[in-house]
Amino acid sequence: MTVQEHLSRFEAVAKDPAGQLKGHLAQGRKVVLTAPVYTPEEIIYAMGLVPMGAWGGDMELRRSKEYFPAFLCSIVQSIVELGMAGAYEGASAIVIPSLCDSLKVLGQNWKYAVPSIPFIPMTWPQNRTPDYARDFILAGYERLIRDLEAATGAVFEEERLEEAIRVYNDHDRAMRELAKVLAAHPEVSAAQRSAVFKSAWFMDKAEHTAWVTELLAALREAVVGPKKLPVVTTGVLADAPGITALLDEYGFTVAADDVAAESRQYRTDTPEGGAPLERLARKFQAMDCCSVLYDPQKRQVEHIVRLAKDSGAKAVVMLLTKFCDPEEFDAPLIKKACDAAGLPMVQIEVDRQMVNYGQARTMLETLRDTLTA
Amino acid sequence: MSEEIKKHRPPPDPNSAKYKLGQIAAKAYSDAQAAKDRGEPVGWCASNFPVEIPETLGLAVVYPENQAAGIAARGGGARLCEISEADGYSNDICAYARISLAYAKIKDAPEQNVPMPDFVLCCNNICNCMIKWYENLSRELNIPLIMIDIPFNPDYEVSDGELAYVKAQFWDAIHQLEALTGKKWSDERYREVMEYSGRTSRAWLAATACARYEPSPFNGFDLLNHMAVMVTARGKKEAAEAMETLLKEYEDNHEKGVSTFRAEEKYRIMFEGIACWPWLRVTSTGLKSRGINMVTTIYADAFGFIYKDFDDMCRAYCRVPNAINLELSRDKRIKLCRDNHVEGLLVHTNRSCKLWSGFMAEMSRQIGQACDIPVVSFDGDQADPRNFSEAQYDTRVQGLMEIMEARKEAM
Repeated sequence: MTVQEHLSRFEAVAKDPAGQLKGHLAQGRKVVLTAPVYTPEEIIYAMGLVPMGAWGGDMELRRSKEYFPAFLCSIVQSIVELGMAGAYEGASAIVIPSLCDSLKVLGQNWKYAVPSIPFIPMTWPQNRTPDYARDFILAGYERLIRDLEAATGAVFEEERLEEAIRVYNDHDRAMRELAKVLAAHPEVSAAQRSAVFKSAWFMDKAEHTAWVTELLAALREAVVGPKKLPVVTTGVLADAPGITALLDEYGFTVAADDVAAESRQYRTDTPEGGAPLERLARKFQAMDCCSVLYDPQKRQVEHIVRLAKDSGAKAVVMLLTKFCDPEEFDAPLIKKACDAAGLPMVQIEVDRQMVNYGQARTMLETLRDTLTA
Repeated sequence: MSEEIKKHRPPPDPNSAKYKLGQIAAKAYSDAQAAKDRGEPVGWCASNFPVEIPETLGLAVVYPENQAAGIAARGGGARLCEISEADGYSNDICAYARISLAYAKIKDAPEQNVPMPDFVLCCNNICNCMIKWYENLSRELNIPLIMIDIPFNPDYEVSDGELAYVKAQFWDAIHQLEALTGKKWSDERYREVMEYSGRTSRAWLAATACARYEPSPFNGFDLLNHMAVMVTARGKKEAAEAMETLLKEYEDNHEKGVSTFRAEEKYRIMFEGIACWPWLRVTSTGLKSRGINMVTTIYADAFGFIYKDFDDMCRAYCRVPNAINLELSRDKRIKLCRDNHVEGLLVHTNRSCKLWSGFMAEMSRQIGQACDIPVVSFDGDQADPRNFSEAQYDTRVQGLMEIMEARKEAM
């Protein structure tokens, strides 16, 4: 298969989560939805269930307004909208962590808006590094397992978690490698890159790793396309077709990303040593540099500047999800740090209900002109 | 504070609860400034951070949320919000945070000045927005941040796991503060603080429960002012005494058949949400002019911090509003509505508070159904005056009144 053929496979999956859900169910597998930003998918996977990401969709919001005021982000609103429209029917449960206020609210509203799919909370500690936080994470896992067993009938066995961790660590490594390799292949469009990352949410991770490995092999053989303007993207999501199309239209390539639905997922592997559940708890304790994780040193700010420098990016494109408190609080500090580092940054407000990309177009056009002047 | 109310009233009696409570709130600021002037470290503290910790350690703290409310009530909200917005903060962010971050930058607001902090104390049992706000304060001012994470509890009861996690953090925070300030924790002093906190809380609960009388001996808007003392000073002897005075006054009012609600009480409602501080007079008058008394709010229940020991205190902090699930939040409100013979629910959909407003639609539907009362909401903001429409408020309150009136007539 050519690189383009490989990429088309990912695009087909990314565009059709409903088809993927149907496919998993047709194979007799049970599906558990996972809401943003971090859930211990390894536990779900170890129980023989398929975790499928539920990050909402680009759509007009109607019925979700019965539950949410207008000033909650369109990610949580569109998850409920899709749930109420029956898009997730067949899923056995949804796991929703409470890492931001809107996610806390999502869990509470879900119970009444979509009663056919049980809500399972995952409560993480924000003071996550002390030893006592590990005990709290483990208590959260126990509760998650209990609820998953009740909702699906599947049984958790810790020995199988060992294998699931291996599958997820392999996937993490493959995705990190992919991000690095794609930076050297500007012929792969921003839309295609986005599809590879997005498809990971809907596929069995072992299968996705296999696909990514094949893509990497094909890329090694491929002719590198003409240079483009390398940028770092940051935000919660970067999958809006309107945005990736504009990045491509103005000649940008994603040199690296700090996107919650993309590379932030793959930075931290589960460490070796100890019982599997405890190892998984240590993974969460080691996670960092994300707007929804307590960050008293604001390492996220420096992380973005460093990422841009290390990847050779010429600018930072911040895709700021409208009404996302955690990202909105970080934005001014990131801007200040980018300015201090002489790194151009554009801040584009995005929304899952977006139909008009005029402002984004102007900003990206101006950025292109600035970088090429 | 409403200018209109001030204009028509004599100066407060220094023995009155109102005067005493006002003095306690004002003294918190002057004490902190005096500590700063003496060269002692001063903290900025989140409103639901366990006040027992700085109180037992003898540390002076001020509360940015109270400061922001004060600035907003005195007309400075938009000015300070705009300063933060010019620095790149979205106007979708909590207005208290925008005001506070602006103050951290300009360090002066005649509406309510506070000493600049040497450390910040954060607790997210009110919202996770608080974490981001305090992270930024800590970074911009280059001062230590001490954070107690009290997670949103999806269950009705506090689990052993949550309690252990929260308790460990309380001790962590105490030890960090000891190291930072040189002050020492004293069990004896803590028992004293716990005792005062219990006394204050019992008096508060009893005072707010006087709303069960018809007519209520108080205007519910009083609670919005008095709660500042409950949040920040309930571990102080003076607070216990002032709240006991308040209780006595309310009982006396009932005996005499008078009320701080200066109109005929035709309807009794529960008000949901933080006050619209920039529009306090408008929101208060809109009710009073129609004979609607806001007899209760969740604050009546929220600040009854009665606990028997350290563990119990930790558990109490896990059960504050905004840290509890929809069902427990709902049941607490249903109890308040029933105990206080509430006839309608007025919901402030507060643009500044995603957590408080986020599941309010479903919860208020359930409350309305369980109590068989009408529910009406209006859009507003706790501190940004630009997010409130007087006309919409008026129309909605009128609508609520008409439904309550029709129901009375049908009885």
